[in-house]
Amino acid sequence: MSLEFLALQVLNGLTFAALLFLVASGFTLVFGVMRIVNLAHGALYLLGGAIGISVAAVTGSWVLGVVAAGISVGLVGLFSERLLLHRVRGRELPEVLLTVGIALVIADLILAVFGGNPRSADPPPPLVGGTPVGPVTYPTYRLFVIGFAIAVGVILFVVQQRTRIGAVLRAGVDDREMVSAMGIDVDRVFAGMFLVGSVLAGTAGMIAAGLLTIRPGADTEILLFALVVVIVGGLGSIGGAALGSVLIGLIDAFSRVWLPELSYFAVFAPMAIILVLRPAGLFGKSTS
Amino acid sequence: MTADRTRTVAIVAALAVAVAAPFVLPTYLVTLLSLVFIAALLASSIDLLAGQGGLLSIGHAGIAASAAYAIAWGTTESLALPIQLGLALVVTLVVSAVYALTTMRTRGIVFLMITLALGIVVYGLALKLSTITGGQNGLTGIDRPEVLASSSAFYLLTVAAFVLAVVFRAVLARSSFGLVLRGIRESESRMSSLGYSVTRAKFLAVMLSGLLAGLAGVLIVWQAEFISPNVASFNRSAMAVVMVILGGTGTLLGPLIGAGVVVGTEHWLSSYVERWPTLLGLVFIAVVLFAPGGVVGAFSRWRHGAVRDRQHAEPGTRAALPSLLEDQGLAGGVDGRPSEPQ
Repeated sequence: MSLEFLALQVLNGLTFAALLFLVASGFTLVFGVMRIVNLAHGALYLLGGAIGISVAAVTGSWVLGVVAAGISVGLVGLFSERLLLHRVRGRELPEVLLTVGIALVIADLILAVFGGNPRSADPPPPLVGGTPVGPVTYPTYRLFVIGFAIAVGVILFVVQQRTRIGAVLRAGVDDREMVSAMGIDVDRVFAGMFLVGSVLAGTAGMIAAGLLTIRPGADTEILLFALVVVIVGGLGSIGGAALGSVLIGLIDAFSRVWLPELSYFAVFAPMAIILVLRPAGLFGKSTS
Repeated sequence: MTADRTRTVAIVAALAVAVAAPFVLPTYLVTLLSLVFIAALLASSIDLLAGQGGLLSIGHAGIAASAAYAIAWGTTESLALPIQLGLALVVTLVVSAVYALTTMRTRGIVFLMITLALGIVVYGLALKLSTITGGQNGLTGIDRPEVLASSSAFYLLTVAAFVLAVVFRAVLARSSFGLVLRGIRESESRMSSLGYSVTRAKFLAVMLSGLLAGLAGVLIVWQAEFISPNVASFNRSAMAVVMVILGGTGTLLGPLIGAGVVVGTEHWLSSYVERWPTLLGLVFIAVVLFAPGGVVGAFSRWRHGAVRDRQHAEPGTRAALPSLLEDQGLAGGVDGRPSEPQ
């Protein structure tokens, strides 16, 4: 096993981890604050990719594509929350089932509007080509994705730990009733949270369009990975999502090379072990 | 007394109609009906957990697909039928045990998430283990046993399998084990302080439900005489859950009604409405929001006003209304975190 091979696989793993983090962070934030397992998160990701690719193709601007993906998917999420999820607030099973319905509708409408062919987006010119990293030359766009995810992670972490909004969110995770008793409009916090989660999903979709293909079925694939990441890292924890993403990203990269037929299984195994040993996840708070 | 007799007459009449159907209806309708009964069987396996234990699985297509792949692989290796069925049983038990072991300490939303993840893992394995599963292309040329070659014979088998599932679930609902499961649904901590092993009961419930799902899987592959990873897909699992919710959780016939609606939409309405998944999604959203008891729930609520038949309520089936969706207590504790039985 050469150093080049090792470096390449680590970078591949980190690139995938970065993408996973973008998807899983929104998923885990929504869960942490609202207790909603948003099974439409994958569909929102797919929608972001589909819209972003089309906008980038029409305007010729990749940046506009990313912005359009984030904003439009954010709005779709906000409307879903206000019109539907809002009505069954606090009842977890109806909430999850509604997201299943939303996912069905979004995925089918994507198929209707954008068709079923796999599509992807070319990265913008400054990010085309390779950049030397130690012993290897690695695609610049992939390095950008890693940097972008780190930036998003830092922003989320700082907002969560250092601002008033973050304090409200953390308090909401710990004791929702107390927060509303203190006079904070939990309703608005929830709507805002769902908006942020959706924006993250949509943006991740367009970012992913430069690495993977956006096609029907990609929504449930990314949903599985997001699920595994948050189950490993602990539901509702940004730090856990980061750690889970890196772990799963690296396992995925190496198992694809070493155990191609079992790569899904290799991703799943740590989840099973952690579930048995620490059901709340590595960073999750135990309630017992 | 008369209500009991009416019930018996209704059941006998329904069975007679179901058995007579293949001799009257055109072949394509018979095939469609067998699809409905197979789907209803898979939905029943999910409702066994959801209606009794308050555990909603959104990965049961994974168990069905495992059994289906066992039959398909056995056929391509030209194993004898009993060996194929034995293999399917073993695979079903092993896969169900994995589901049971990873979920037995959870409930509510965490149960749902883990079953979802497991279902997608089965899909991934079906896709990647191409030496056994044929990968994306799947396995073709899986003829069902000769006795079942005609579509009406096969249809009768699917009816028999569904009736078996209904009887099985009715017996389970009346059994003391059914009572334990409903106790767990209402309050886990109370059941464990009464000395019941919540973990063990959940393990057993998932295994029993897995057996029904495995049976559905065998019928799925015999119906299609072909298998691809699609059988294990998230959509299949989600559609089965949609059937359970549309029909009404905790009811014996709800899965059949839900399956009728979904399969009917997919195979019949789809020739008129191109965007049928959107339509189905919207109907599903409406049911979750406005009719949480599903079709059967709405019907029995309406009938409940007209006839006082509470004393004839089947334990565990009628008692399960108000449905899973109206039931606040089951969804994973007050704050929804995964909580372990002590």
